[in-house]
Amino acid sequence: MADAATQPKEAAAAAAASTHARPGLGQRLLGRFFPALFPPGEPLEAQRRLFLIALTAPVITYVLVFAVYPAIVGLSYSLWRYNLLRPHRTAFVGFDNYVKFFSDPAMQAALWNTAVFVVAAVILEFLLGFALALLLWRDRLFSRICLALLLVPVTVTPLATGLIFRALLTADYGPIGYWARILGISGERGFLGTPSTALATIVVMDVWQWTPLMALILLAGLKAIPATTLEAARVDGATALQRLTTIVVPLMVPSILLALLLRMIDASMVFDTIYVTTNGGPNNATNVLMIAAVKEGLEFFNIGTASTIATVMLALVGLMATVFFLLIGRYEKKVAP
Amino acid sequence: MQKNRRALISPFLLAASALIVAGPLSAASAAEVTLNIASMNDPFGAAMTKLAPKVEAATGVAIKVDIMSYGELMTKTSADFIGDTGSYDIVTMDNVLTGQYATAGQVIDLKPWIEQDAAELDLDDVYPVVMNSLGGYGEMQVAFPFSGYANVLVYRTDLFEAAGLSAPTTMQELQAAAEKITDREKGQYGWVANGQKGPAVAQDWMQYNAQLGGSILDAEGKPAINSDANVESLTVYKAFFDKAAPPGAVDYDWGGREQAFRQGVAATMQTWSVGAAGYGDPAQSNVVDKFAVIKAPTGEGVEPKYGIGGWGLSINEDIAEDRQAAAWTVIKYLAGKEGQKELALLGAGGFVRKSTLADPELNAKYPFLPIIAESFEKGDGDYRPRIPEYPEIQDILGTAVNAVLAGDADPKAALDDAQARAEDLF
Repeated sequence: MADAATQPKEAAAAAAASTHARPGLGQRLLGRFFPALFPPGEPLEAQRRLFLIALTAPVITYVLVFAVYPAIVGLSYSLWRYNLLRPHRTAFVGFDNYVKFFSDPAMQAALWNTAVFVVAAVILEFLLGFALALLLWRDRLFSRICLALLLVPVTVTPLATGLIFRALLTADYGPIGYWARILGISGERGFLGTPSTALATIVVMDVWQWTPLMALILLAGLKAIPATTLEAARVDGATALQRLTTIVVPLMVPSILLALLLRMIDASMVFDTIYVTTNGGPNNATNVLMIAAVKEGLEFFNIGTASTIATVMLALVGLMATVFFLLIGRYEKKVAP
Repeated sequence: MQKNRRALISPFLLAASALIVAGPLSAASAAEVTLNIASMNDPFGAAMTKLAPKVEAATGVAIKVDIMSYGELMTKTSADFIGDTGSYDIVTMDNVLTGQYATAGQVIDLKPWIEQDAAELDLDDVYPVVMNSLGGYGEMQVAFPFSGYANVLVYRTDLFEAAGLSAPTTMQELQAAAEKITDREKGQYGWVANGQKGPAVAQDWMQYNAQLGGSILDAEGKPAINSDANVESLTVYKAFFDKAAPPGAVDYDWGGREQAFRQGVAATMQTWSVGAAGYGDPAQSNVVDKFAVIKAPTGEGVEPKYGIGGWGLSINEDIAEDRQAAAWTVIKYLAGKEGQKELALLGAGGFVRKSTLADPELNAKYPFLPIIAESFEKGDGDYRPRIPEYPEIQDILGTAVNAVLAGDADPKAALDDAQARAEDLF
């Protein structure tokens, strides 16, 4: 008679044997159509491995072709002085493009502005979005109508958003800009024409457009919280604030991190709104990495410099994603039973 | 049932087949060659499209005009040139890109063909400065002049009259008049120009800079951006903005600037002659019958020279020789006397020929043509350096001048920095 410790192992082995005793339908079909790759006599475990590789092959191919390959090519271009209009001056320059990037005040400003923009816009969008999600949590007709109306800004293209705000904010005849100047709320040159307020104005435009999306993602997280848990807490005497801080927020951490990650990646690529309102000015007040990259790549066809900027952006996004995935992993370990 | 369905479908299939077969046949029967023209979204683009049937009738070559914004035109044509795809046969070339086109070898040198057809082209009828600045580069002619613009001053006659002012003939008079007319409480400003970072402010300032005696390059063709004359002209340009421009002008590009004048917010503006017809159109302007077009003023003691800009027609080097020949035939028509008059009547707004500017019918329609003719006689097409590095220089200046206007830098420091950056390009 087997002892208690060996019983589960035997059961698992038996279960595994039953699972692999007969190839599945997919495996059998692959064996019929690709006998060279999936020979009928091959051990089942090997066939299974091949089958799994075949299943993941399209995804891996997609990632290699559309993400890894362009990234590697971009990285390699960044090591060259390479202008499409002056191919005769092409030369390998090593990390010279990176040295120039980090020593150029305009690029430093672009890097700093991008970071400030991402942090400010995403924090504001999160706070406002979370507040909106809480307000719309109860499933009433009013909430649903409000949600539908709130999503209107998301459907406007960023280019149109920029043009609308530009018309509203112009200091000479804009419905907002004119009165803001007259009342002394903005500088004499308006919100977008004053270096100290230009970037903040772009942040406000982004917040107007993307807060509803943040609210929508967070609302989905809120709806996933079991009502029984909250009810139990309420019956036990927990106040609204206590329920929010001890139940709602902890249970929403994955949704929050996902929303923040998506918006941070998107915000780091801000372009259209700035392009049509200030074109990176006044001076370098709203110059961001994407504006600099597009200018170098599509106006000057300076592929080496544009690739350098793109690689720096890729590194930034990669860094953000890594931090968020680490946080999510740590959270899952913490809450795992 | 099956039979009925077949009976129903068959006529449609037959009709579709007939259309598929007849489409190319009918196109081919009208003209042997159809050329693709990449056109800037200036008034000449729409005019060329309207003129296409006459072009085909006169040359036997059909044209298809693809009208694009400036950015799109640059991106598409550059991609076409770099990829050697030959998608466009004829390309409208901004005259500031002459150096870039010439050195990159993207378009053919028209010099031999121009010499061969000199009599037919009646070259004496083309303004020499236009011939040179809209396609000439060293010994090459990379584009044939097609739509030339002169920098002119438009001003509000009613406001000048009310203020007891006469039309300004010097930059100093313009500055004094602009400041006198400005009444911020009434929302009336004396002057407007581009202030937005990038090409907008760079191009407008380069214009004023030349009129005030400055120059972007020295005699050797090297950057002289921080010269005393340039620093002085930028100081004047900033004074215009501070004392006479609408507050938001530091963010204006061409659209904003034009709007300010047409809405009646600004009393004076330097602009390309191509827009002059629009100020008299009630559908586009609030200042109809209240404006005049005059020659651009220059600084006291500076030899009068007037900025010239515009577009030439280039032939893509990647297309087959027979298409190049057909393209040249089309260019000869479009830039010829007949084509130029037809385009002018259609509102193209650009001129390259003396005969067109002297035409009585056109003068009756556009009374400002003598101003353009006088400007072309003493034109300067190189105040914006037509060198391969022009796009980068323009960007450098666009940042520097905007920084000064926004109060972030003083003229000397901004131009010193611009000079250092420009030197790196050479």
